[in-house]
Amino acid sequence: MSSIERTIETPKDKQNRHKAMEAIKVIKSIKDDFKSPIESMNYFYDLFERVYCKNEPLHEGKTKVGTMCIQIPSEIIYALDGVPIRLCNGFYTDDEIGSDLLPQKACPLVKATVGHFASNNFTDKPDIVFSPTTCDQKTKAGAIIKNFGYKVIDVDFPRTKDSEGSREYWRKSIKQFAVELSKFKNKKLTKSNLEVSIKKIGYAQSLYHKLSEYRKEENVPILGLDMFLITNAFFFDKIDSWIDAMEVLLKEMRTRVDEKINVAGKMSPRIVFTGSPPIFPNYKIPLIIEQSDALIVADETCSSNRMFNDMVAVDEWNLYDMIDSISDKYLKACTCPIFTTNEDRIRRIIDLVKNYKADAVIYQAFAGCTVYEMEQRSVLEAMEKAGIAILYIESDYSPSQQGQLSTRIEAFMESLKSRKRKKK
Amino acid sequence: MSNLKKKINNMNLVRFRFWFQIVAFLLIVYGGYIGFDLGDKLPTFACVYNGDFTGGKCYLGMLQHDLNHHWETFLGFAGYAFLISLGMFMVWFWLLNKAWCGFVCPLGTMQDWITAFRKKLKIRFSQYDWSSRAKIKSIKWILLILLLIIPVMISNSIFGLPTLPNGLSMPFCDICPGRMLIPAFTGNFSQFYIDFSSKTEIVMTTLGMIIVGLFLVGSFIKKRFFCYFCPMAALQYTFSKPALLKLYKDGSKCTKCGDCYRACDMDILEIADDVTSKNLVTEDCTLCLKCVAACPEEGCLEANFAGKTIFESTKEGFIIRMAMDKKGELSEQH
Repeated sequence: MSSIERTIETPKDKQNRHKAMEAIKVIKSIKDDFKSPIESMNYFYDLFERVYCKNEPLHEGKTKVGTMCIQIPSEIIYALDGVPIRLCNGFYTDDEIGSDLLPQKACPLVKATVGHFASNNFTDKPDIVFSPTTCDQKTKAGAIIKNFGYKVIDVDFPRTKDSEGSREYWRKSIKQFAVELSKFKNKKLTKSNLEVSIKKIGYAQSLYHKLSEYRKEENVPILGLDMFLITNAFFFDKIDSWIDAMEVLLKEMRTRVDEKINVAGKMSPRIVFTGSPPIFPNYKIPLIIEQSDALIVADETCSSNRMFNDMVAVDEWNLYDMIDSISDKYLKACTCPIFTTNEDRIRRIIDLVKNYKADAVIYQAFAGCTVYEMEQRSVLEAMEKAGIAILYIESDYSPSQQGQLSTRIEAFMESLKSRKRKKK
Repeated sequence: MSNLKKKINNMNLVRFRFWFQIVAFLLIVYGGYIGFDLGDKLPTFACVYNGDFTGGKCYLGMLQHDLNHHWETFLGFAGYAFLISLGMFMVWFWLLNKAWCGFVCPLGTMQDWITAFRKKLKIRFSQYDWSSRAKIKSIKWILLILLLIIPVMISNSIFGLPTLPNGLSMPFCDICPGRMLIPAFTGNFSQFYIDFSSKTEIVMTTLGMIIVGLFLVGSFIKKRFFCYFCPMAALQYTFSKPALLKLYKDGSKCTKCGDCYRACDMDILEIADDVTSKNLVTEDCTLCLKCVAACPEEGCLEANFAGKTIFESTKEGFIIRMAMDKKGELSEQH
């Protein structure tokens, strides 16, 4: 008689197992498939493995404040002694759970986020969730999640940003948000705690900016995939650990630049990535790009660059001006496609191409992410006008269509390379 | 050289401007004590009523004086005198452009001190809404036209209208808060009076007293309150194009984040929203350069002197000025 104990896997265990498989596959690829790995990236590889494969909670005993979009100010959350957890989700496992609850053609990111809530399977479960009314699907998702029994608070977000009205409206929303959270935490927002947290996040952002500078080099010392991991880690990591890891990484980068280490080839096309956000572990498109001997040198997405690019600028360090500055940061410079017109986003992409000496832009839109799909045409036109090559790719979270996607991307890279060779 | 450039771009502009303004204030208001005199055609409020102590005199006073002539004399020597004065004014002005307002003007400096006082009290500043902001732009032009026309109408009858009384020979000085406030700094309070000698004097000096009150209260509530209505700003702007000092913007680098607009004491929207113009010295600009210091984009805004960049926005400078270059500690209170 064998004494093996057999247990039936619960749906939660199954979900965890599937998610762990998704996660480890991506981590392994990034870790092992590329030349000249970065030693200090191990912190981030381990972090993702701990959280997504071993389900290790990071913030026990802390108030976890879930955010549904980039627009909820972490500055205020930290000042009120909470931990912001961005709940935008990249798992196909959760996407499938969400598919039963949302229309078939909904955005996979929203489906995955809703699916995650539906499963009620969190390692760091949010105590309260703030849902800014950005795109239609996110707006409605907030209400659906509320129905699951979570504490969800809507934060009104305007759909234009140039008018005086929208600025005032958003400033009021942020004040309201601060009041709600302050009530929930039973803690007062003060000049000193807000100033400290603004400067703290500003410092974290400054580290990101320093790291980005290295991507302008001719020999780029870091993969775009690694950058996505670093920025995604900011969704949920302890801010102090993240900062420490970045400081170590920056030191290693300095020596790598001095040693002229290049993670790609001399002729590898340099890519600016834009569109629907790659969120761990949905690095499908970035992986294919970098496996096709190209290198992502910059991005314009809300899961990465847009989180770090704009820092809060305060003129009078008193509470009133700090809150207004925070509000403006999350509205005025935001290049989210939910806004009516979006010249700012186009200018930003062109500026990135120029500054990071990129050869082309790759534009990802999730099937069902209407706003990015709709804005595609205007961006393509603008790039054509500026003489910048661009490839538009529609994708989702499913592991299928890999072959077709890599054929398209590889062909695009070949054309870029032959153009590069001709130039020389 | 590049090291010096970096130092300048990383500088604490607020502190630099604070001390620059103090030195300029001392020279303009007390310069006479040490025989310092920049003449009487300055494009800034160096008050003529400050007597021997002033380190120079405001051109608006000279201008009103120059225009108070009969047509015949004006077509002769008075006209030449007027042109020479104007020429001198322009030379002074072209040197610094509107930085005369942001760095030198004693009235501007006084308002900045009042602002600093308000900040200390943690009282919020107020702002005009955008439509009112656009409307009040015209007031300084109306004041400028009045100060040009009234002196002319004292000596001449225009369209058969009767000539104006002599009491109006310096109409703007009568209502300028500088007339009372600047001499007060040298212990001369004699300008705080209401003149009952004639109806015109009663009206004008009363207006002057009221405006001083508004100046003090207004600039406590609204940053640079008086500058929104300043006819000197209007006169300056007329000649601003060829000036040497410029504020340039590279719109392709602008993210329209609005940091510059929020820093601007004059609430100039164009600084953030205009991504096509290069020269951003607008009619209300005081060239205080706070926008350059607040801009986080590399080389997006710059102060340029005769084609040379002297101070430009950089990411590093921004981060240092916002004190985000060091890892602070979050307060661990539960």
